[in-house]
Amino acid sequence: MRRIQTVAIANRGEVAVRIIHACRELGIRTVLLHSEADISTRAYRMADARICIGPAATVESYLSIERSVNGALAGKADAVHPGFGFLSENADFAQAVADAGMIFIGPKPASIRAVGDKIAAKKTIAQAKAPSVPGYMGEDQRVETLVEEAAKIGFPVIVKAAAGGGGRGMKVIRSRDEAVEQIASAQREGLAAFGSSIVFLEKYLDRAKHIEFQIFGDSGGEVSYLFERECTVQRRHQKIIEEALSPALTPELRRAMGETAVRLAQSADYQGAGTVEFLLQDGHFYFLEMNTRLQVEHPVTEMVLGIDLVKAQIMNAAHEFRVWPQESLVAHGHAIEARIYAENPYMGGMPSTGKILGVEWPEGPGRRFETGIEAGDEVTPYYDSMIAKVIVWDETRLRAIKKMKATLAESLVLGVHTNIPFVREMISHPEFIDGSMTTQFVGKHFPEGLRPRERSAIEKEFEKRASQAVSPAETNFDGSAGRSGSPQTSPWFTGGSWSNI
Amino acid sequence: MKKVEMEINGQRMFGAVAKSGTTTWFSLNGEVWTVEAEGRASRGGSKAGALDPSVVKAPMPGKIVKVFVQLGTEVQVGDTLVVMEAMKMEYTLKASASAKVEEIQCVAGQQVTLGSVLVKLKVESGKNS
Repeated sequence: MRRIQTVAIANRGEVAVRIIHACRELGIRTVLLHSEADISTRAYRMADARICIGPAATVESYLSIERSVNGALAGKADAVHPGFGFLSENADFAQAVADAGMIFIGPKPASIRAVGDKIAAKKTIAQAKAPSVPGYMGEDQRVETLVEEAAKIGFPVIVKAAAGGGGRGMKVIRSRDEAVEQIASAQREGLAAFGSSIVFLEKYLDRAKHIEFQIFGDSGGEVSYLFERECTVQRRHQKIIEEALSPALTPELRRAMGETAVRLAQSADYQGAGTVEFLLQDGHFYFLEMNTRLQVEHPVTEMVLGIDLVKAQIMNAAHEFRVWPQESLVAHGHAIEARIYAENPYMGGMPSTGKILGVEWPEGPGRRFETGIEAGDEVTPYYDSMIAKVIVWDETRLRAIKKMKATLAESLVLGVHTNIPFVREMISHPEFIDGSMTTQFVGKHFPEGLRPRERSAIEKEFEKRASQAVSPAETNFDGSAGRSGSPQTSPWFTGGSWSNI
Repeated sequence: MKKVEMEINGQRMFGAVAKSGTTTWFSLNGEVWTVEAEGRASRGGSKAGALDPSVVKAPMPGKIVKVFVQLGTEVQVGDTLVVMEAMKMEYTLKASASAKVEEIQCVAGQQVTLGSVLVKLKVESGKNS
């Protein structure tokens, strides 16, 4: 047992910032392991030290075990936090960190292998007699074999990269005709994002809810479940809106699913934060996968339980933590998270890159903003398009929805397009408000994203007036001047008032 | 970025405006749109001009993953032409008209900029959708 003095962060963006916040509060120094493309980012500015581990391409930086380990050693780190994505679920990385004499902030390599690899996890959960979706997870990875197996399962079938996550390397095959193209696409995405083209197939449930259970295991072997998050609102298997708790679970179902999640974790001797994902359809739940890391949507769990999962991870890795006893955990109120993606909602979610000209998040009670970008930073095409998360908490689900609407209406991001208008439409939909949405929600109600519409009279008038506030000289963003934004002292331009629009 | 406060029909509204090169960005009540210097407004903010079905341009900067057609390939509406990747997501460019592939100006692995011409099509007259 020893204290952790320096944590190396093997990640980027908002999660790197999240880890820096936790470390600062614990009095721990941080070393950011970053790529050449990530110098103009908030995490880079916040970290106590920075080590460039390679060029923009992920395989040469954030996905390189060797460079990450060497970077951590060079930064004199005694522990490594992998964040999520990249190497966070890579058992070889966890092992390499340990072999280099550092603490991996996460489960043991053997635990990652037992439950993290999606194929191995399916076997583990079958032994634990938990229900799982029919599928194929064989070693024969030839496309012809996969097409035959998909036909046997019966379409629709979903093909997933075994090492995947975050919606990448996942494709739905609706008929035999498109099987070859979709399988090949999933294999390519898996290879590009995770370094492995191994895929598996499963029956696609077409009216299910995505419910996942946060679990936490301490170094003494105790495991508790920290209730569920509902992450049903997804597009192309990428989560957009998450909430805790789910409006769909009865206390009985919650206990049954939570205890299943704990059994799975215990069977793998699991330590630290982990998430067991299920699909829920017609009152039956099916194990989907276990993520052996912190989850993007962890803040909603933190908000309803009043806990800090990242600090718990770090303290647990230092053997200075006892997990919250199950009977002490009571959820309070309701929390919702919206992922803010740099994409154009009026063009089918096309990625949007560029320099951030201005950004502002409207602070207020029960509002939380997690972001890795500030004005002047560049959103590049190399990495995931999630630039921020907006999290709200309120006493009831309906109030939380209203708070999210108000918060997003006042949120400002200029310089790249974001999905903020899209999220506002989604949380205003009756099916979201009554909580009955399924994973088909986006595809059914917003198949093309948002339709381009004409600007309203108010918007046109605003455009006319606001144009007066910017003359080319004062508003061309001067990147070299850092992050100061407009040189004028008052940030406000008063456009006067008018009526009858 | 300049924040702008206005009163419209007695209601206070808050927005922002910023200019970058020839593009002006507006934000009001959570909606964001851009206006190019020549005065054409576009909520999509696309400089790629997806309107002409005979010229297929890169709608975003990124990498060409795969080209699905060859010179002379006859394509129908919805057929996959090119798959691109940016931000680790694949994006499929499909034919928006029945046409014959006349020119291919990209190869797999190539990094392309926004608006690069990728494929040129000869649209079959009368079948244009």
